[in-house]
Amino acid sequence: MCNAGVEFPQLVRELRRRSAKGSLPVAAHHGILNRAARLTASPATAPRSAEWVTPDLEIDQSSEVLLYVGCVPYMDVALRYIRDDLLEIPRSAVRLLNAAGVRPRVLRSERCCGHDAYWAGDDELFARLARANIEAVRESGIKEIVAFCPECASAWRDLYPKVASLEGMRVRTLAEVLADAISSGKLKLKGEGTVTFHDPCRLSKGAGVVEQPRALLKAAGTLVEMPRSGPMSACCGTAGWADCDHTAKRVQIERLGEAAGTGAGTLITACPKCLIHLSCADRHHGAEMPRRVRIEDLHVWAAKALARDY
Amino acid sequence: MRQEASWQPKVVAFCCNWCSYAGADLAGVMRRQYDPAVRIVRVMCSSRIDAGLILECFERGADGVMVLGCHPGDCHYISGNVKEEMRVQETWELLDLLGIGRERLVLRWISASEGELFGRTIDEFCALVRELGSGRRSDG
Repeated sequence: MCNAGVEFPQLVRELRRRSAKGSLPVAAHHGILNRAARLTASPATAPRSAEWVTPDLEIDQSSEVLLYVGCVPYMDVALRYIRDDLLEIPRSAVRLLNAAGVRPRVLRSERCCGHDAYWAGDDELFARLARANIEAVRESGIKEIVAFCPECASAWRDLYPKVASLEGMRVRTLAEVLADAISSGKLKLKGEGTVTFHDPCRLSKGAGVVEQPRALLKAAGTLVEMPRSGPMSACCGTAGWADCDHTAKRVQIERLGEAAGTGAGTLITACPKCLIHLSCADRHHGAEMPRRVRIEDLHVWAAKALARDY
Repeated sequence: MRQEASWQPKVVAFCCNWCSYAGADLAGVMRRQYDPAVRIVRVMCSSRIDAGLILECFERGADGVMVLGCHPGDCHYISGNVKEEMRVQETWELLDLLGIGRERLVLRWISASEGELFGRTIDEFCALVRELGSGRRSDG
C-alpha cells in the first residue's frame, strides 16, 4: 500500500492507456489471445463457444445459472503445446456443478470478458465487450453467473458495474459455489494426496476468496501451505498476455521451487492463466529443478475426486 | 450478407520471397490478369506468418487471407513451409472458434515457375470470398 494514497493499479492502467492506446507493446504468443478478444467484440461475429461440451455433461439451456467460460477454448488451441488438457477445465466445471445438483447453461456465442482490455487501459474495447455480455445475459433471463476463471468473475462482478447495471444478477466464482455445496452437504469429494495451493491474484487479492478453494482442497486431500499464500500470494509471473520475459520466468521458477519445498506432490491453482504460466516454466526449466511438482487446475483436480457414485 | 455494387472484398496474400512472390512476378511478366481484390505482402518465408498476424488481418477488415509458400521440399530455409502448415492448421481452428470460418484462410504451394497457377489460385479464392461476402466485422 502506498502511504501517499496513490492508487497504483489505476495509475499503471492510466499510464498504459496513454502510452499505448490499448495495444500492448509486446504481446505474448503472437498476440493471438489479444486479437481473439478484440475479434469477439464485433457484434457481427458469432463465436462458437460451446464446442467443448461432451455428451456426458448435463447442460440446461433454460437454466438461470450461466457457466461463463472465457478464453479457455482459444487457449486450448494457441497453447496446446504447453498443456493439452485445458478443455478439461470447463468440462470439469460442469461435472462439479452437476454433482452439486446444478445444470448450468452455456452461451452458444460468448464474447471475451474484457478483463485484459480493461487492465491494458483499453476502455473502449472493454466497454463494448461488457455491454455485449450484459445484453446477452439479460436477454436470456440468467440470474446467476458462475465463472471458474477468477479474471472473468472479477470483470463481471467488479468492472461491469462501471459500464452497465447488473441488477438482479449474482456473480460468483465456481470455487465459492462449490465451497457452499460442500458445506451444505450437496457435494462430496473423496481423494487423497498432499497438495499445495497457488492463489490467483484476482481470486485472493481481488475477490478475497481465500478459504473457499481451500475448503475444496481439504475435502479431498491434505493441504500444505507455501510461505507466500492467501492474500500475500506470489504472482504467476505475467498477466494480460503481455510480454513474458526473463523476470516473469524467474518469478515462476521461484514459485515452483516454493511449491516443491512444501513436500506436496501437486501444485493446484484456480486460474487458467496461472496454470499455463506455471506449466510453461515447468516445461522449460523443470529438469533443472531439484524437485518437481505436478501442476493441476483446482476444478479438474476436484472433479477427479468426485465420489464415483453421484 | 452485404453485397452492394460498390463492395469489393479485401484479400491479403502473404507470398514467400523465393517461390510464390516470384510466381506472382511471372504472372505479371506473362500479363496474366488476376483479381484486383488481392493485396500481396512479400515475406521472406511463409513461416513468418503466425496466427496473430492472420487474426490481425481479419481484425483490420480483411475478408480473406492467403498464405502462399514453396512446395514441400523446396523451401529456401529447408522446412519453413512445413512449419507454416502447422501454424495455419492452428489458425483454422481459431477462425472456426471465432465464427469467422476456416474457409476464409487458405494455404497453397506455388513455385517460381507457376505464374498461371498463381493467377488461378488468386482468382478462385477471391471468387470464393466474393461469394462468402463481408458484413462479419460491421464495426470495421
